[in-house]
Amino acid sequence: MAILQAQDFSERSPLYPRHVGARLGQLGNAAVVAGYGDEDESAQLQRCALIDQSNLARVGFRGSDAAEYLRARGYRLPERPNQAQPQDDGCLVARLSQSEYLLLGSLRDAGSRIQQEEAGWQLGDSANYLLPRQDSHAWLLLTGEQASEVMAKLCGVDLRAEAFPPGSVAQTSAARINVIVINAPQGELPCLQILCDRASASYFWDALLDAMAEFDGRAAGIDALL
Amino acid sequence: MTAFNRLPAPMGLLIDRDRPLAFSFDGKAYQGLQGDSIASALLANGRWLMSRSFKYHRPRGPLSLAGQDANTLVQLPDEPNALADMQALAEGLEVGGQNFAGSLDSDRDALLGHFSRFMPVGFYYRSFYKPQGIWKVWEPIIRKKAGLGVLNLKFQPEYHDKAFLFVDVAVVGAGPAGLSAALHAANTGAKVLLVEQQPYLGGALAWARFDLEGVRAGALRERLVEAVEQHPNIRILKEATCNAWFVDNFLPVIQGTRLYKVRARECIVATGAFDQPVVFRNNDLPGIMLTSAAQRLMKLYAVKPGNRAVVLTGNDDGYLAALDLHEAGVAVAAVIDLRDAPADGLLVTALQTRGIPHLPGHTVYEALHAKGMRHVSGVDVRRIVGEGQVASDAQRIDCDLLCMSAGYMPVYQLLCQAGGKLAYDDDQAAFSLSGLPRRLDVAGSVNGRYALDNVLLDGARAAGGATGRLGLGGSAEAIFAAEPRVNFDWPIFPHPDGKDFVDFDEDLQVRDIVNATRHGYRDVQLVKRFSTVGMGPSQGRHSALPTARLVARATGRSVSETGVTTARPPFVAEKLAHVAGRGFDPYRQTPMHQRHLEAGAKMMPAGVWQRPAYYGKAEERERCMQEEALHVRQKVGLIDVSTLGGLDVRGPDAAELLERLYTFAFAKQPVGRSRYALMTNEHGVVIDDGVCARFAPNHFYVTATTSGVDRLYQQMLKWNAQWRLDVDVTNVTAALAAVNLAGPDSRKVLQTLCNDLDLSAEAFPYLGVRQGTVVGIPARLLRVGFVGELGYEIHVPARYGEALWDALMAAGRAFDIRPFGVESQRLLRLEKGHVIIGQDTDGMTHPAEIDMGWAIARSKPFFVGKRSVQILEAQPLARKLVGFSLPKGASKPLEGHLVLDGDAISGSVTSCEYSRTLERIIGLAYVGSGQSAPGSHIPIRVEGGEVVQATVVELPFFDPHNQRQEL
Amino acid sequence: MKIMPCPLNGPRNISEFTYGGELKQMPDPQACSDDEWADYVFNCDNHAGVVTEWWLHNASSYWFLAERHTVSDEIIRTFDPKELFDRRVDFAQPAARQEVVA
Repeated sequence: MAILQAQDFSERSPLYPRHVGARLGQLGNAAVVAGYGDEDESAQLQRCALIDQSNLARVGFRGSDAAEYLRARGYRLPERPNQAQPQDDGCLVARLSQSEYLLLGSLRDAGSRIQQEEAGWQLGDSANYLLPRQDSHAWLLLTGEQASEVMAKLCGVDLRAEAFPPGSVAQTSAARINVIVINAPQGELPCLQILCDRASASYFWDALLDAMAEFDGRAAGIDALL
Repeated sequence: MTAFNRLPAPMGLLIDRDRPLAFSFDGKAYQGLQGDSIASALLANGRWLMSRSFKYHRPRGPLSLAGQDANTLVQLPDEPNALADMQALAEGLEVGGQNFAGSLDSDRDALLGHFSRFMPVGFYYRSFYKPQGIWKVWEPIIRKKAGLGVLNLKFQPEYHDKAFLFVDVAVVGAGPAGLSAALHAANTGAKVLLVEQQPYLGGALAWARFDLEGVRAGALRERLVEAVEQHPNIRILKEATCNAWFVDNFLPVIQGTRLYKVRARECIVATGAFDQPVVFRNNDLPGIMLTSAAQRLMKLYAVKPGNRAVVLTGNDDGYLAALDLHEAGVAVAAVIDLRDAPADGLLVTALQTRGIPHLPGHTVYEALHAKGMRHVSGVDVRRIVGEGQVASDAQRIDCDLLCMSAGYMPVYQLLCQAGGKLAYDDDQAAFSLSGLPRRLDVAGSVNGRYALDNVLLDGARAAGGATGRLGLGGSAEAIFAAEPRVNFDWPIFPHPDGKDFVDFDEDLQVRDIVNATRHGYRDVQLVKRFSTVGMGPSQGRHSALPTARLVARATGRSVSETGVTTARPPFVAEKLAHVAGRGFDPYRQTPMHQRHLEAGAKMMPAGVWQRPAYYGKAEERERCMQEEALHVRQKVGLIDVSTLGGLDVRGPDAAELLERLYTFAFAKQPVGRSRYALMTNEHGVVIDDGVCARFAPNHFYVTATTSGVDRLYQQMLKWNAQWRLDVDVTNVTAALAAVNLAGPDSRKVLQTLCNDLDLSAEAFPYLGVRQGTVVGIPARLLRVGFVGELGYEIHVPARYGEALWDALMAAGRAFDIRPFGVESQRLLRLEKGHVIIGQDTDGMTHPAEIDMGWAIARSKPFFVGKRSVQILEAQPLARKLVGFSLPKGASKPLEGHLVLDGDAISGSVTSCEYSRTLERIIGLAYVGSGQSAPGSHIPIRVEGGEVVQATVVELPFFDPHNQRQEL
Repeated sequence: MKIMPCPLNGPRNISEFTYGGELKQMPDPQACSDDEWADYVFNCDNHAGVVTEWWLHNASSYWFLAERHTVSDEIIRTFDPKELFDRRVDFAQPAARQEVVA
């Protein structure tokens, strides 16, 4: 079997040059890091790990008609801004303002539901405007018990679970760039979903790994999440 | 001096007697113990002289033993100015002295002390300022004499970082008040951070004596420390310094190589109080220390501070210290009380039963020494007959240790930073603090509570207040027992021969402070700046109060009227590495970044973006840039323009919003076409430009300058927060990767990749915009003419950016395509006379100055800046941006070089480059309105002062009828 | 570091925000005099007391208004601009050409 490469696909993560030594798998129409080495990375994830999910679908909608549009398409929406609502199929809907929503795809369907939301939208007369979040933002997953301590080295918002429980969303600054942080644990695994400016992804990736070093944190792949 | 032996346990709280450490000081080998500080280890070896004073090079030994004085500044291999009483001893540590000529023990510069009368206060200011420039001659000499340590320039930077720390209650100081406050707060469920500067908890409980029997402190400390250490709600940071207080309880706490940015909902400052020295002649000799320092030495390090001690005190604590000394086997030659009697009469009995002589109402008038001033050898004791006055008959008492304490000064620095006011009660010689912000409280001796029960209660009171405000229950009510005063109000005894030091760091004597007031400096802040009192490393911890007293008396005021000098952050010296931390320096890269590197691009910053300047080596810049530009003119080139700002403006009012924000008209702009978009601010100043492409009646895609787009986006949102138009603005700058495929062959290249669009000039003309696909990638295509050739801007979702680049480069191979960089693009647009906003415009440029009158739709009811533009246009034009040219081979002006008009400066060059296409130097410059006609000659002063005569020419320089871009 | 209570995001470090200037009433650009316009564009009251200011939360691109005491630097209240700007603003076509005095 030929070894998969990021450049086999026309969709590429801004971080693929950083995935040195990674074992790749396919995710939708792109490559994704499955893991580093052959070991199971579950323990690493529980401790402290960083996963690039930039090739997993995500999209935003904004406008006075956005909530109605999304409800009609079967999404349960958070009641207030800066809250996130997990969907039954593993997707996550975060509300960023009175009229703005961010939809994060799930690994379970390789992001296909959210990918279809993006492909199926058309500009019409209703006030519901698509926001190209997959292209504007990189998507990182910071996992493990130490996630909030790692972020405390980069970010001035208290992200400890007692102050930032599951379902919380923070639009803030980390390592001097704008980020969206969502507390969305996967079962027992503490997870911070982090979206940052796509063009700053390399910078932020290195800043995070530097902050993670004291907790023995390292990059990992999605296999251990599945 | 003979070597001192260590005292038996329980003395020596911090040391491990089984772990000896070898180290050296000034080249001589010594042995200390694990847990020692450098200073305690040296004192255990009988080594007192640790430094030479700043100005007179007098021998100095430890004063506070708590890191609060400059007497223990030593040199470490990689670090100058380390505090020997704070720096932990380590195996093999090489420690050196500082600020001496020859050796620390026999410093030739100590002779300077004899000239002190010729070096009065303000000496440096007043002696070296004339003739002009003379300071430059003296400076290196003086700096050497008054120098501190030496930097190791080969030092490898260490890893320093910062971290936020969020807590409910931060308690600064882990003495009895801090421990009490932390426990009480934590017991209500609050998350507490306890910050302690020393490596142990308990503060004075660890070394001071609070009762005659000397049993209470130890037992209490044990109990409190155990409770605090085992409390799940308390996090302890030892050897950590809270270096400032910033608004809303933002506390920088330095521990090791990390700076914690503590954000506390409530803050309790329990920083304690500083022992205050007594001012008398030779009060700086080694062997004279603060009473608390001698107690620390015994209790923490089991070091016997001397064989024969005199205790000079202004309160009862000195008696208790004398008992400590006595029990440690030190002969106490006398307890000298500045007061007429102690508050607690039992203390006198205690001295009597131990045979310790007691001299109430006396003071030390002068400390005595043998030749070389290496150590105190005795004291001249006299009866006090008035404020600062003594009787003439003296008695001499021999001693090798003098413990002194006139009283306490609150460690008020953090509180003053918080806006607290330190008040002094002249009658009681007591301090109080007022005016603290909400959610900041004080407890313990910093709050004027010294009696142990009051101290503990005060901690509980402060904690109750804090937890009450946090909604966890608790109240700040407490009733305190009366306690005796702790400060003697005039512990200053000037000597006719001086050397009665007020400030040890700066070698300032009583007369220096008094003289400063005679020079007319009545304000204590001015006295500080003139005399430098309090400006040394210990920042007035011991000098602020005597200075205030001296200034008060010299100016006929009270201490409360005089006040003390301001305390600013940081509390202790901090390293730049702590402030810098990891030094986050964001950068942005386009999706094609990797390809640029592979193609050998020389990258340059464009704001926070990294962009290819040109492809090639730095030394071949000129050749690469010219060849790239020529290639675009002759064949086809590809440039990454992903950094270009991009905004999607959508909704029924999309056109209306653009009408209001940009100078041009957009309401009737056809779908499928683009228009130039120029933006002015309310001052009528040009602030941005771009291209406005209409893809649907309710959808515009507007480009903006790389550096301007974020600000512009913010301003659009701000305007519409007021106008409430039905429109959505989205910043899609990073979401879209973009290239400009430019050159005569660009259509041919694109045709091989694009099968759903008719690219012919008729179907897709200049300024047309289309949506389609390029190698299957959804794309927005714009026909633009920035570089003046047939060209297509192709904007695609960022995830496909690199694949697009790869496809275009592959398809272009047959047409000899090559990538070009920003520098080449700038040359190409200069040949076309296109202005770059921010480079060819400044904070004053209005449209008429850059010939942009055509881009203003004057019939619109409103656009931002319209009124200002009208006003500006009605005034005569003061300057104008013109194109100029110079023959090949002339000295090339650089950006910023001045344009002259007679003797006056009339403008400056904004862009200039040699054009191989045109074979001459071309540029843009602001010139006076009288110089702007084509054919005018403008003198430009270039490098080295040469003046070249450039000719004003009509723009554009190249392809004047713009035929090439419209092919 | 100061804390700013953002109406959308809650209390945050002031470094997350951009100051947007004092809330000012724009005079009718068609009708006002040059002096009135210049006063609006160039001058600030620099009032010692409570002022209303524009602030932007950078990460969420959210503009709001804050009442702040310029002497104590106390932030008294922050609120959504909809409280003050509750309807669409339009600019009328100029009735006659504006006289501009140089």
